[in-house]
Formats: sequence, structure tokens, C-alpha cells
Amino acid sequence: MKSKDIVLIGILSATLTAGKLALSFIPNVEIVTVLFIAYTIVFGYRKTILVSLVFATTEIFLYGFNTWLLVYYFIWPFLILLTELMKKVIKSEYGYAILGAIFGYTFGFFFAIGESFFYGIAYGWTYWIRGLLFDLIHGTSNFIIILTLLNPLKKLLFKLKKAYYNE
Amino acid sequence: MNKKIIAIIAVLVLAALAFVGYKTFLSPKGVEGAKEVTVNIVIEKEGIDETFTYNTDYEFLIELLEENQEELGITFEEYDFGKMITGMMGYTVDPNSEYFHIYVNGEDATTGVAEIPLNDQDTYTFELKNF
Repeated sequence: MKSKDIVLIGILSATLTAGKLALSFIPNVEIVTVLFIAYTIVFGYRKTILVSLVFATTEIFLYGFNTWLLVYYFIWPFLILLTELMKKVIKSEYGYAILGAIFGYTFGFFFAIGESFFYGIAYGWTYWIRGLLFDLIHGTSNFIIILTLLNPLKKLLFKLKKAYYNE
Repeated sequence: MNKKIIAIIAVLVLAALAFVGYKTFLSPKGVEGAKEVTVNIVIEKEGIDETFTYNTDYEFLIELLEENQEELGITFEEYDFGKMITGMMGYTVDPNSEYFHIYVNGEDATTGVAEIPLNDQDTYTFELKNF
């Protein structure tokens, strides 16, 4: 890994933290998903997984250690790997919008599994049901955000990547 | 019309339908009619262990608490996820280390205070705890 890559990983993870904080006043509407998808398409899954690990660790620094934050170490790399695998199949932003929507709708379910390990299945089940409306907002807003922002973001990032690596 | 706008409208309509479905089948439902319920407040470090019995037609615990806010000395705080009790019997919790744990008939409540339905002969215990 070159020093340029290390700097890039730092910058990309900072954009995720900043993007998440900027929208944190609207519950479950976020641009982290669209950014991870765009970064995976443009920079590849290896670098983006490292970005996600830095991002998850920064969350712990910001919010303190919580059991739900552990899920961040799995759920974002999972999205990145899914995006990488779907790259060859998905030909338009509609496919990614559907991927992001499904990811948002099932987001609470993944956390419920994580919480079940610590507090039992009954707690996990309640956690999931209680959060379903938030998942509904999450998946729906992901769909809209990805559909409208992914293509302009990709275009911009490809341009910046070319300039950054002198390609 | 632009294809993307149609897709967005379709998703919003589906989300609205899912919301109605959630409200109809999954969200907690209150029970209509007269009930007799007991509210028990325990704040051990202040030596408080008070029991109140109410006859009510309300369907949710939060409504009963709001009506008797003065007698129970309750303060609430509004958050994104709903209302939270921040004080009882005039005692205000330290938000960094304390909260009121809710038991319904001795069992841990599985929802927040706003979603607990009132049932006849139920006992709702609020106990100050540390986290």
C-alpha cells in the first residue's frame, strides 16, 4: 500500500463521519450507504473495507463504546462486499438503489442479531420490532438518495481519482 | 414524467402502505374501558416506596402519568424516539448514570413508557436504577 492510499483512506473515512454527523438531526436518513457504494465502485472493495474499519472506530471515539457499535465492523464491510459482488450484474443506479433500500430495511435486523448475543433473543426481537418504522424510513430514504446522488457522485469521484493518482 | 420520479413516488407509496400495516398489526394496542391499575415508585436512595391506585379509562400508561403528573412529581423529556421519564416524586435522575426502570407486573417492560398499554389490575413499577 502506497502512502497516497493511506491518505486517501483517511480522507474518505472523514467524509463518512462528517456526512453522518451532518444528517444526524434526521433520524435514519443518511448518506453513508451511498458513499460506501460509490467508494466501492470507484476505489475498489479493499480500500473501502479499510475505510469502513476506520469509520467504525471513529464512531466509538465519538459515542463511546456500545454493543451496537460492534455491528458496524460487520455491517459496512458486508455492504461493501455485496456491492463488489453486484458490480458486474448491476448496470444502472436503479440496481444499487434497490440494494441500498434492502440494506436499509434490514439494517435493524442485523443489529437485533448483534444485541441478541448480549441480551438474549427476546430483547433482540423487541429491538427489531420497535425499530421497524426507523428501518422503513432508512430503506426508503436510501432508495431515493442513491437513485438521485450515485451517478453524479461516481462521475465526480472518478474525475478526482484520475487527478489524485495522475492516471 | 421522469422515470426516476415515478420510481421514487412508487417507493414512497409502498412505504406508506407498510407504515399503515405496521400501525394496524404490530404497534401496541390499548384496551378500551374502565380499569383499576397500580403505580409503584421506588427510589431506594431517597427512601421512597410509594404506591398509587387509579381508576382510569385511558388506554396507555403515558396518558395516566400525564394526568397525574403533579401528584407523581413526574418530569418528562422529549427525544427523537419518544418521551422519557427524567424525574419522579420530585427526584430528577442524573442522565449520565441513572434512569427509571419500568416493570409491568414484576416483569421488565419491553417498550418505552409511551407504548405501554394499560390493563385492568396491572401494576406498573418505576424503580430508579444505575446503568
